[in-house]
Amino acid sequence: MPTLKLDFNLSYKVFDFSINQTLDLTGITGIFGHSGSGKSTLLRAIAGLEKNISGSIIFDNDTLINTTQKTFKKAEQRHISLAFQNSRLFPHLNVLDNLKYAAKRCTNSQLNINEILTLTELDNLTGANVGELSSGQKQRVALARALLSEPKLLLLDEPLSALDQTSKTKLLRLIIKVQQQLNLPILYVSHSLDELQQVCDNMLILSEGKVIDYGNIHHTIHQLNFLSASLPSEQLIHQQTSLSLPISNTDNGKGLMVLTLAEQEILLPRSSEELSIDQHLRCFILASDISICLSEPQNSTIVNQLSGTISTIESSEFDDSTHSVLVTVICSGQAFYVHISTYSQQKLALYINQHVYLQFKAGAVRTFLY
Amino acid sequence: MPSPDFLALIVTLKMAALTTLILLLIGTPLAWYLAKMTSRFKVIIEAIVALPLVLPPTVLGFYLLIAFSPQHLPGQLWQQATGQQLAFSFSAIVIGSVLYSLPFVVQPLQKAFEQLGDSLLEAGAMLGAGPIDRFFTIVLPLTKASFITAASLGFAHTVGEFGVILMIGGNIPGETRVLSIALFDHVEAFDYARAHVLAISLLIGSMILLASVYLLNLPRQKSGRAS
Repeated sequence: MPTLKLDFNLSYKVFDFSINQTLDLTGITGIFGHSGSGKSTLLRAIAGLEKNISGSIIFDNDTLINTTQKTFKKAEQRHISLAFQNSRLFPHLNVLDNLKYAAKRCTNSQLNINEILTLTELDNLTGANVGELSSGQKQRVALARALLSEPKLLLLDEPLSALDQTSKTKLLRLIIKVQQQLNLPILYVSHSLDELQQVCDNMLILSEGKVIDYGNIHHTIHQLNFLSASLPSEQLIHQQTSLSLPISNTDNGKGLMVLTLAEQEILLPRSSEELSIDQHLRCFILASDISICLSEPQNSTIVNQLSGTISTIESSEFDDSTHSVLVTVICSGQAFYVHISTYSQQKLALYINQHVYLQFKAGAVRTFLY
Repeated sequence: MPSPDFLALIVTLKMAALTTLILLLIGTPLAWYLAKMTSRFKVIIEAIVALPLVLPPTVLGFYLLIAFSPQHLPGQLWQQATGQQLAFSFSAIVIGSVLYSLPFVVQPLQKAFEQLGDSLLEAGAMLGAGPIDRFFTIVLPLTKASFITAASLGFAHTVGEFGVILMIGGNIPGETRVLSIALFDHVEAFDYARAHVLAISLLIGSMILLASVYLLNLPRQKSGRAS
């Protein structure tokens, strides 16, 4: 498995970026952080577009930069491609010529332009002027162009930021398909946790130019539930439970899909997409969408009821004014995060190791792709 | 034997063409450097490049005449290298023209490079294109109109030169006698008929050149739609 060793500092007048982290480049690695956290700076540094770096970047035993050894590999020699947020297509070339530009400069070309056109669903747009494409089409061309340069590492800088929800879903599926078919490691930058939760295997969290956490996507999202309280207020995220569970029934005859959680079940609205039994579905449930009952709920319209045990009760140590706590409940080995008021906590007299029931509606189980 | 005016036309076109070529060769990297430069010294270089716009041509011509004379280093070096005197030669009027028309080439190119920015060049680098490749495949096609403008202005301004050429080139037929000086000669000799022919030719030629530049820079009608 290729690795990316990052150990460098980068200073601007109003911003300092510092990192010492090794990333395992398996599948898609998300880079999460809010505006000004250093996400794009990190990608630009890896791509070779930042010159004022002090330190080293080593990709798969290849030193891209080492300032103590005075080594600097130029951007065009790194075999790393960056698809920019604003696509940056060449306006004097049509779609096909933009793609040929990349293919011609690829020294060991393996991919076929027509295959990439089909993969990125651009077959009908080859002769189109890039100025007349929609934002989604532009991003697909930018992705196809980046792929045709046949990089060893693909960097995606907020590729969905300018797109509507339908286009976002389409492009996210395309990114997953591309990654799986080409087995290409991808670093995917976004400030949307929902996007990252759907596609990433691992995630790096940045805040104010520093690494806050790195690891498995579900684990880091859950860590973020606790970290978010210590981050600056504008960086607050929606606390949530991130899941990847097998489908046991795509349609139970009542418009609901069923996911298996050991001996328990989670129901969510049936998807219009073709899904198969045992396929793992990524989904998330906001902590504010789950409630706690002390006894098994009867005669409720809420379809999801899970039994579990409270493992932690955390209040915000930085902000007493929220009057809320984050309760972690373990159901069949899976941690669920529940955001409730301190009033409710005191009313129910919740305590660690207490057996409780969680309730949430089918609609509270969210997916970005299905 | 060609007529003196025809000879002046040939010298003028030769001088303007050579000057334009040299201006593009040295003006392009200079304009690129100025467009990308962030140092505070940028304003000083910009001021030096723009100086011919405000300086009386005779001032520039006077100092060039002194520099080109065999008593001073540039003139001495030239004489050692070529065995010929620099002042009052065709080479002198080409060098003078290059300096005098420099801002007409550098300024439109600098503006075009600044407007182009770095984003597309970074995209090119990400696709494996090196600096020279990026220049010819991205910069040149996207700033083509500015190159045409710069070359046309440089050429037209060189054709219309008078003061600098008179100072450093004199009036040697077939060598340094250009159209503007031939015109001045006719006026001085009260030969208004021949002066009119040259004046109207220069006027119409300049008009055609400038109209062609504006025509080339007209926004193109977009064709083809995305399906």
